[in-house]
Amino acid sequence: MIKIKFSIIFLLLIPLMGTGQDDEPIATKKELRKNRPTYRGTSLFGLGIGSFRDFATSPLIYSGISISSSRFQISMDTQRETEWGSSLSVGFFGSIFNDHTSFSTVISPAIYYSELYELKKLSSDKLNVKVGGLINVTSNVRINQGLLNNATGFELIPTLFGSIKGTLDVSRKKERSKKFLFFKYKLDKRKKTLALRLNTGLVNSSYRNGYVYAGQSALLNDPDVFDDYQFKVFSGFRMSSSLDYTLYSRKTTNAVQISYVWDAYKTGGDLDQFEMAQHALRFTLLFNTK
Amino acid sequence: MRRYQIIILAILPFLVSCEAVLFQEDLATTDPDANFEYLWNECNEKYSYFELKNIDWDAIKTEYSAMLYEDMTQDSLFNVLGAMLTELRDDHVNLASNFNVSFFGTEYLGQDNFYGRLIEDNYLNQSYYSSGPFAHDFLDNGAIGYVRFASFPGSVDNTNLDFVLDRYKDTKGLIIDLRENGGGAVSDVFKILSRFVEEKTLTNYSRIKNGPGRNDFSEAEPVYVSPSSGIRYTNKVMMLIDRGTYSAGSFTALATKALPNIILMGDTTGGGLGLPNGGQLPNGWTYRFSITQALTLDKSPEYENGVPPDIEAFFDWNDLTRDEVLDRAILELQ
Repeated sequence: MIKIKFSIIFLLLIPLMGTGQDDEPIATKKELRKNRPTYRGTSLFGLGIGSFRDFATSPLIYSGISISSSRFQISMDTQRETEWGSSLSVGFFGSIFNDHTSFSTVISPAIYYSELYELKKLSSDKLNVKVGGLINVTSNVRINQGLLNNATGFELIPTLFGSIKGTLDVSRKKERSKKFLFFKYKLDKRKKTLALRLNTGLVNSSYRNGYVYAGQSALLNDPDVFDDYQFKVFSGFRMSSSLDYTLYSRKTTNAVQISYVWDAYKTGGDLDQFEMAQHALRFTLLFNTK
Repeated sequence: MRRYQIIILAILPFLVSCEAVLFQEDLATTDPDANFEYLWNECNEKYSYFELKNIDWDAIKTEYSAMLYEDMTQDSLFNVLGAMLTELRDDHVNLASNFNVSFFGTEYLGQDNFYGRLIEDNYLNQSYYSSGPFAHDFLDNGAIGYVRFASFPGSVDNTNLDFVLDRYKDTKGLIIDLRENGGGAVSDVFKILSRFVEEKTLTNYSRIKNGPGRNDFSEAEPVYVSPSSGIRYTNKVMMLIDRGTYSAGSFTALATKALPNIILMGDTTGGGLGLPNGGQLPNGWTYRFSITQALTLDKSPEYENGVPPDIEAFFDWNDLTRDEVLDRAILELQ
């Protein structure tokens, strides 16, 4: 537990390490921004597993699978990385316990924006380290008919993260000949990167139901989906990470990316916390636009 | 490459362990004490009618927790928890498992006051109209309209309401029969009532629990009914109610107290004026209980015990050719 606390504090301090570096001349910055390679990424199918628990309606953990898609745009070079995008996942979760089965369908749209800057002290020709921030707004619409008037649940989880990303150049610099059983084959030169990104929540907000979960707006002849909802700026904790293996095309400037994405969060306070964790495997096509 | 694989393999367990630290332990259990405590506490902090019903929930805990014992069967535990909830005397309170559902049964507080087949045989002559959820026809040689509304299915719409009210627009009066209507979608309540008001009308108030204390409620919020732009009925209306008129049926009855052209007739309703929630116990069973209070115009929650009729009338089970409640309503409208 102490080690994990230390790790979290360390991650929180990482964005501060990007300050105090020598800045490039302004004209050069503009040129760099103009010429920074840009990719549009499309992940049509991601597959994940996850679990959640909403203490407002049940102490039981619901586990299951999710499918997801995402679209994003990323402009990046060794000095700076700007990314924005959206994702949508649909999960099918269940709780099977004591011969009782309950199901919950969870639809989770999310949008995000991220800025990362090179941390020169830790970077080298082989390894590029960047630090910065990420704003992510994730929402969940959960439907569980077994919960009667509480069948539909909704929460909005806006988070400002501190982020660190390490990108390792694992390109094949020379052609290599290989043999597998009786088959000989040749491995061409190839640009490849392996990147690990860690995000730690600095401002963990939530927009959640009120004290008794359901609202009374229907009884007032004034239906309001967000009746009695409350916004809390500092509530809970969130961490996420992604591990990306990017394989660039030999003939074009496009690329494909295989990612493992992990996201876990919980809302705060003593009353009716919400917990969710998702692990997803995504296959993404990256189209170079600049 | 092997070095990178080692790095990745070292990092992944760290992330998964973080998840384990973030989340609380798994609370799923069939332990009788844990499930009893969970259910009792949920009600203790969120149920809305302890004071009105003068219920000593702590004493009930003492009484029912003494019935728990180690290795008791699921059926036995269900009977204890279900009986504890029955003490709340509220049919918006249920415990549900895959082998039983507990309930209170407000309809048994009074006599059975409705016999549907008798009305079909002796009043409607089995040739009535069905317009959506409404069964209806003329009575008293076309002078009165009779509308049977057996539940609030959430499917009341302008088409069926316009048809019904247009058909009876020239009658002296209308009888809306809500006896043994156990409720349903509250949206139907306002769609129906909007056909019987000529101006925006304050009908009642509502408040919701917002804290664990017995009197932790939101401010009393006003409930208004505005006139529909569709066909409205302005003549006298007799609304028939009984102990089986519950939940949305009682909400309707409560609102009519503010509508001078609608008269309640029959027996006191079953109540059910608290919106029920929904939740799950650590053993997978589900429950619900009331979390709001509907208040009268003088902000009293007393009608949770039943909305009283303006004119009392009871069915005589010694004569199965006549519906005395319906006869009395016809008499009022003649």
